[in-house]
Amino acid sequence: MLRNRLALAAAALCGVATGCAVSAAPAVTTTAEEFGAALARHDGVVACAMLTDRARGDTETFGRSCATQLASLPDPGPVQGVEVWGDTAQVRFAADTVFFLRFPDGWRVGAAGCTAGAEAPYDCEVKG
Amino acid sequence: MSGPRVPRLVRENGLVLFFGTIFVLALVGQAVAGFAEFVEQQIADGAHPVSFLAYLTSSDFGVDVAENWQSEYLQFALYVVATVYFVQRGSPESKQLDEVGGESDERQRVGADADDNSPVSARADGPRRWWYSNSLGLAMLALFLGSWTAQAVAGRAAYNAAQLRAVQDPVGLAEYLASPDFWSRTLQNWQSEFLAIMSMALLSVFLRQRGSPESKPVGAARDATGLEG
Repeated sequence: MLRNRLALAAAALCGVATGCAVSAAPAVTTTAEEFGAALARHDGVVACAMLTDRARGDTETFGRSCATQLASLPDPGPVQGVEVWGDTAQVRFAADTVFFLRFPDGWRVGAAGCTAGAEAPYDCEVKG
Repeated sequence: MSGPRVPRLVRENGLVLFFGTIFVLALVGQAVAGFAEFVEQQIADGAHPVSFLAYLTSSDFGVDVAENWQSEYLQFALYVVATVYFVQRGSPESKQLDEVGGESDERQRVGADADDNSPVSARADGPRRWWYSNSLGLAMLALFLGSWTAQAVAGRAAYNAAQLRAVQDPVGLAEYLASPDFWSRTLQNWQSEFLAIMSMALLSVFLRQRGSPESKPVGAARDATGLEG
């Protein structure tokens, strides 16, 4: 019983203080590696399936195909860093920065193909 | 005609029970309203809405609570300590104009001047008496520093989540402590607390609340200082 209470307290503290950055990082990393692998082999269908609905919708305007656009993104390379804050995450690949959002079925890509701007939001090829 | 008997324990602890009850009710209200606002923002950001329990353990709720707590404890820490050294003519919040400072042992009933009912720590010498003599201000100061630290830690987490939702880089703790978000949250609470104390010290010179120890007696003179009704 005491252990349960401690676990609950730890979970609460984790949420308030860090957004559970430590506990959620492995799940984000796994999803990010799958997304990176799909981009590396230019598998737009798999990569598209990992986007949030809004990001997918953003790629499909003006008659464009999500799969075609995702397949044209370059190989992001290996994962170099993960930061998780609450239900959001940023994954730095060697050649890309990708932003994730947490959903009940796991992490989904909210923005990809992002390049940093000075003191400004990233400029992203895909963003929902 | 007499009303229902109030149990002695309730009657003698009415102030703590009353404020404890409205504190809990207000905190629940804040949680419900904050949850609704947070979910609206999540939907606008294209994210999946969190559960109520997840919101209660989130940094967003944590920082909203802590930023108010820290300012309240700062208010009382300053109030307790500042009223040792500053007086206000005519205010029941002030002591007499010639009593500025820590006052004599005799008046404070410490050491050799302690009486039979004085706490043991008031009779003690050295650090023990010093700690006890300043324990109220120190407790408020510790609660302020603790809740301000909690605001900084939870505030950074909430800020970073918002940064990532806006496809911007998260910041380190030092960078957050120098950020407009941290100081805006902090100072907007401080200014209102300082205004409230100043208003109370000033208005209580001229205005009265019959029966309240925070007010002078209704018939007390305007320049009567340190009287409680």
